Amino acid sequence: MSAESIVASPKRRRRDEVRHIAWLWLGLTILLVLFSIWVPARLMGPPASPTMRAVESTMTVFSIAASPVAALVWAIAIYSLFRWKSRGEPTEDGPPFRGNGPVTASWAIVSSVLCVFLLIWGLAEMTSTTSPAEASNPLVVNVTGQQWVWTFSYPDQGDVESDQLYLPLNRPVVFHVSSRDVIHSFWVVQMGIKVDANPGVTTKTSVTPDKLGVFDIRCAELCGLRHADMETSAHVVNPADFAAWITQNGGHT
Amino acid sequence: MTAALVDQPVEPVSTAGGMLRRLNLVTAIAGGLILGLAGWLISHSLLQDDDLGSDQVVLVTLSCWAAGFMIGIGALNGPIGWALGRDLRHEDELFLAGKDQGVARYFRFTTDHKVVGIQYLVVTMVLFAFGGTLAMLIRTNLISPHSHFLNPQTYNAIVGLHGLIMIIATIIMVTGPFGNFIMPIMIGARDMAFPRLNALSLWLIVAAIPTILSAAVLGGIPTGWVGYAPLADQAPPGMDAYSVFIIIFAVSSAVAGANITTTVLTMRARGMSWNRTPIFVYGTVASVGLAIPAFPLFMASQVLLQVDRTQGGQFFVASGGGSPWLYSNLFWLMGHPEVYVILIPALAALMELTPVFSRRPLFSFNAAVISIAGIVGLSIMVWAHHMYASGWAPDLNGPFMLTTEMISVPTGLLFLVILGTVWRGRIWTTVPMMATYAMLWNFIIGGITGIYLSDVPADYALHGSMFVTAHFHYTLMGAGLTGAIGALAYWFPKMTGRMLNERAGYISFWFVQIGFNVTFLGMFAVGLAGQPRRVVTYAQLFAAGNFVSTIGAYSIGIGMLVLLYAVINSWLHGQVAPANPWGAKTLEWTVPNPIPLENFEVLPVVTSDAYGYGEEDEPASGIDPEREPVLAGASADLGPRPVGASNVEGGP
Repeated sequence: MSAESIVASPKRRRRDEVRHIAWLWLGLTILLVLFSIWVPARLMGPPASPTMRAVESTMTVFSIAASPVAALVWAIAIYSLFRWKSRGEPTEDGPPFRGNGPVTASWAIVSSVLCVFLLIWGLAEMTSTTSPAEASNPLVVNVTGQQWVWTFSYPDQGDVESDQLYLPLNRPVVFHVSSRDVIHSFWVVQMGIKVDANPGVTTKTSVTPDKLGVFDIRCAELCGLRHADMETSAHVVNPADFAAWITQNGGHT
Repeated sequence: MTAALVDQPVEPVSTAGGMLRRLNLVTAIAGGLILGLAGWLISHSLLQDDDLGSDQVVLVTLSCWAAGFMIGIGALNGPIGWALGRDLRHEDELFLAGKDQGVARYFRFTTDHKVVGIQYLVVTMVLFAFGGTLAMLIRTNLISPHSHFLNPQTYNAIVGLHGLIMIIATIIMVTGPFGNFIMPIMIGARDMAFPRLNALSLWLIVAAIPTILSAAVLGGIPTGWVGYAPLADQAPPGMDAYSVFIIIFAVSSAVAGANITTTVLTMRARGMSWNRTPIFVYGTVASVGLAIPAFPLFMASQVLLQVDRTQGGQFFVASGGGSPWLYSNLFWLMGHPEVYVILIPALAALMELTPVFSRRPLFSFNAAVISIAGIVGLSIMVWAHHMYASGWAPDLNGPFMLTTEMISVPTGLLFLVILGTVWRGRIWTTVPMMATYAMLWNFIIGGITGIYLSDVPADYALHGSMFVTAHFHYTLMGAGLTGAIGALAYWFPKMTGRMLNERAGYISFWFVQIGFNVTFLGMFAVGLAGQPRRVVTYAQLFAAGNFVSTIGAYSIGIGMLVLLYAVINSWLHGQVAPANPWGAKTLEWTVPNPIPLENFEVLPVVTSDAYGYGEEDEPASGIDPEREPVLAGASADLGPRPVGASNVEGGP
């Protein structure tokens, strides 16, 4: 530690450095939190289901939780790059300490706590987003992927078939998803649900659409030549309009 | 005296190496072409009328090419010699190690680890050049929603090739060049434990590269780099090229893994206990050690796929009782460890060079080791987070979310180690050190976006979108490749004897890093907005983000060209480097430039670790205490050993 005594009032200088980094950290954290609040959820667009709303709040909350971490790393990096930079090759060595037990321990503890928070949040969110599957009277839609179209059929409504998805507002839907050839992935973008369509088996996903409108269905698994064109629309309509659409297509409600 | 001279053979060296004298890259290519042609003729005439003929012909032809190539390079000479009971003479060993062969040794089955390291470096750069060119084509196609620059078939083929070539390039980019060239010197060894296996692993990759490139003319790999079945079952013969390539690569990585692991376990210098072993050595061993269980699974998946494709098997065909999930599980059991195979050595290289350019000891060596071990341990338990949305085992999504999120704890420790090391250091902002800073920026973004994807409901929304593409480019390229470039700039003076042109290095750095962030931040945006991966056209909604990404990609391309120029130009005409230009303390900087054939005239004895910057207790040995590494105390009792002595000495 004799190298320390050469520097004039090293303690004060060190305290100043920590203070500057703390300010930089605070400033960056504020910027990142503002970014977290405004940007990720906005880019994902207006949600069309409670599931998508939960996903967007996850994105926002995780971003906010990560903000101080990223800000700390960047604050120290930026500060060191400007204030501890030497002009050309350094002529002397830095202080020789080889670690700091309390700092390492707190770093590990804080990151573990954050990790536990992420897990608990995720499990709670999983429970809430799978609730439509447990509803008493869900609408069942069979979804079939094949190169490169989607087909939807309504087994409880007289097997009405369509290449566009029609859903009644606010009624839980369970999708039974399968494929005729290769793996596709059934993705209703604005509802935040996705499950692979596999040949030979049926996979399930569920959602409660709560917004009227036309939404995007895309294939999210590379499935061959026209993968990019394997998209269609999901129409969320009032229950009366849905019943009318079913009847119009030869089904019954 | 005179009589003794007469007894000597007139040209004792001229027969050294035997048959190997006549074998090189040219005979290897000739051997590959001859055997490949023979395989093609035979299989073609036998299978002409078979429906599956073309797949089988391609499989046989490419396998024969690889076998012929390996025979032609001389890979079998050693085993055959041993089988016949022939022992290598000392001069044969020297010939194998490339003694006095000048540039020719780089085109032969040469065992010197330094030659293999340079060969790996060139192979890596060639792969990056291919993969990067394909990336430019992809981004050019995506510059507007319907650019029609590439047709869908070409586009899919290019996407698959780009992915696979880049994955292979990133897997070998650190452990190949630096793990082979630098690591043995760093631990005070004269060569690797198994020098012939070392050459074997390199030449297997060289043999495999034409097979993957042949996919381009065999209909491409239309499945993306993952090769998912059953799409792979209906793919053109390019898929067979993919299988052959993966199988050869898996053998190569197993051979390299066994070799590097053994070398580190048994050949560290006297006194180099585990707590004095440099962190880069840990990173290298962790990477290749993780590859040993991982790649055989990939190989197995390809063997099964070939049974499906060429023998009428049904492993992945649901209608025949098989399951596509079998493939995806085998694939991701390799696929997730594989990202750490890529990342760990790159991060370890940055941890190795950060103390040098901060003039500070590595902050908490133990935390660095624990974090590498933690990542390795957890990485084999997280694979199914790639399959949350596959429907394979929804009940396991929760447990896999737990293991995945746990990885953030050891990964976080790596950040602490680097931040603690720069803390109040004397930062020397060379190109390698700038790579550390770029990694701190990029890997935070890559890591945090990984946490979103570890969350099951968020992954349902984001899986298969451009968000995922951007995320793994931030980790594998932003952290991994950046680390490898840092390692290249750092060890360039030792590997080539010349300094890397600093100005060109900086120019390249900023073009690449700014371009990289522009490209992939734009890609995050379109991914969040709902653009799927691997699409040749996209909705108007995503036009602005994709345009920005493409411009950023061109900037990366320019930066990489500048780097390529800097490497070639500096290698040929750069300023001659002193033995230790950075004042570093690891052993590789104690050997002179150019490095003698067996590295050390006297094997070093290690008395401390390599991070004692600013510490008083440096033993005052050597001519220049500033430049003489603390740990390189040469010991008198070993005495000088002749060059060419057995290379299994030096272990504690």
